[in-house]
Amino acid sequence: MIVYASIEIVTVTPRLFREVIDLPGPLDKAETESMTGPPQQASQQPSRDRRSSSRSANQSRSDPETPALSVDGLSKTFGSGSDAVTAVEDVSFTVESGDVVGLLGPNGAGKTTTIKSILGLVRPDAGAVRVRGIDVYEHPRRAYEHVDAMLEGARNDYWRLTVRENLRYFAAIRGHDPDSLADRHTELLDALEIESKADTQVRDLSRGMKQKVSLASVLASGVSVAFLDEPTLGLDVESSMTIRQELVRLATEHDLTLLVSSHDMDVIEAVCDRVIIMNEGRVIVDDTVPNLLDGFETTGYRISTRNIEDSLIDALRSEFDVTDVDRRGDRMTFEIAADSAQFYRLMNRLQAHDVQLAGVETVQPDLDDVFLEVTGNGDGEHAQTPPIDREANP
Amino acid sequence: MTTADRDGGGPTQSPTGGYYHLMRAVIYRDLLIWLRYPVNAVLGLVMGVFFFALMFYGGQMIAGAALTDTIEGLIVGYFLWTLSQGSYVGAMSAVQSEASWGTLERHYITPFGFGPVMAAKAIAVVFRTFLTSSVVLAVMLVMTGTGLDLHVLTVVVIASCGIASVLGIGLAMGGLGVLYKRIGNVTTLLQFAFIGLISAPVFEIPWAALLPLAQSSAMLQRAMTDNVRLWEFEPIALVILFGAAVVYLMLGYLGFVMTTRRARSLGVLGDY
Repeated sequence: MIVYASIEIVTVTPRLFREVIDLPGPLDKAETESMTGPPQQASQQPSRDRRSSSRSANQSRSDPETPALSVDGLSKTFGSGSDAVTAVEDVSFTVESGDVVGLLGPNGAGKTTTIKSILGLVRPDAGAVRVRGIDVYEHPRRAYEHVDAMLEGARNDYWRLTVRENLRYFAAIRGHDPDSLADRHTELLDALEIESKADTQVRDLSRGMKQKVSLASVLASGVSVAFLDEPTLGLDVESSMTIRQELVRLATEHDLTLLVSSHDMDVIEAVCDRVIIMNEGRVIVDDTVPNLLDGFETTGYRISTRNIEDSLIDALRSEFDVTDVDRRGDRMTFEIAADSAQFYRLMNRLQAHDVQLAGVETVQPDLDDVFLEVTGNGDGEHAQTPPIDREANP
Repeated sequence: MTTADRDGGGPTQSPTGGYYHLMRAVIYRDLLIWLRYPVNAVLGLVMGVFFFALMFYGGQMIAGAALTDTIEGLIVGYFLWTLSQGSYVGAMSAVQSEASWGTLERHYITPFGFGPVMAAKAIAVVFRTFLTSSVVLAVMLVMTGTGLDLHVLTVVVIASCGIASVLGIGLAMGGLGVLYKRIGNVTTLLQFAFIGLISAPVFEIPWAALLPLAQSSAMLQRAMTDNVRLWEFEPIALVILFGAAVVYLMLGYLGFVMTTRRARSLGVLGDY
């Protein structure tokens, strides 16, 4: 008989709650919110859901006929003959106004070449790019009115100039009278929490602050489309959170369109509506973050027991997809990938052997897992062996 | 109004400035960066004066009165050399420094266009070089007790034409630097070539006037020593002066455009 008295579900996630109590069927957003109530960190942590809901109002402001960015058949090969390396091959996608899209891929996947080709910094062999409906290659100057980019992280600015001098300079070379944007600059610096450093030379700032200055200078001229390459690289958690909040705020309140390239999946998951994953120069996934995660929504459980025998585990292996078995003293933890019927059957087996449960928790995939799987760096068996949820039982 | 209204897109802030703001910002930034490397700035001035002092006092010991007779020519030549040297190095390093700082690509993505922005940076370099070379010139005049009959408009126009031809070379070399990254050996040698160009015998060898700097140097000598005004020169001399300036500047700019275009093809525009 299963002894439920000792179950320790410390972190009760909505999905776990549903699966243990009610079982199958994914939660919809309303259900999630009704179960959890307003997340306590909602005021501090940007959330994709909040972006989506508030953005719907903004989308009505934009012309739905004109995407902020459209890329069609972009290709680029470096070198020739036997030395030729195809960096980007037939890449196509569109980004609607106010969308925040993450561009992911392993090193050498073609992300940087794609971004630089879109911007005209690399001359593509084929393809067309339009920003706000303007052909970047035919009318670059008109297109560049709408676009700026943070390509070099903290190196995007002049370190010998002060923060405000940088903002003024980059606004001026983008066709603005810096004086007319003074209020905007103050607002930006304030939002990024570097207003007090406005008159400090960038070289005297920490790396995190340099990164913020870099972002501020990209946004200093009021562009509506921005490309950000690793915007939170090297930042501490607090600084990273500030940048995420600001990106979400700008996208929701100002309809700013962002293409964000990052290896920090938490950032991508927090700020992006959609993710494009590239590998070997091609787009292999282009979908919304919820859809990607839902596609991975195999039911996985981590089960902690107190008195299970090794022989029973061996027996379970033949019947279930048991992984990550870890014994510490009389306590054993293992994971299984299972649907509801399998889960019930497992519970019955454990009950039949009088196994005492110490904890049951769901295992939820995150964007890291999706990324590893689709780029071929995962184990290829995610449906059966979903990885451990980071927010699980401590 | 935002540009969104014009293009049917999102809310991009409409331009609120123009070339005046671009030029002002570029010159201000150039001066600020120069001042914020104070040791380099001061040493540049000191070394400029120091080398002239070496030539002047060393020449006096060797040549005596003969040098004093040609001191105006020496001063004018040295002034033009510091100008051309500063402009050439400044224009070239402006491109290469931006690449190494990681800011070059941001100058490509501007509504003004890459060429005009980099040309503005070159002009800013010339402006700063005029300031620093003027300081060196003033010290030289005090040091030698020489007076030059300066007609500012004439001097500025002639010197600017000479500088324009050198700027063209600087832009082309800057573009080559972006493309090939390390071309220090060539760029250094070119600096010495300027000495030969400034002292080119354009009166004895007329075609030499077609070389960069040469005509400008010869006319500047006459303007500063014989008090010849700009409009008092022969028309053909003015045609050669302006023609050489325009041709070399355009060739240099073309070289810059071609090399950066090639760099974009190779995907190395922002690399250094």
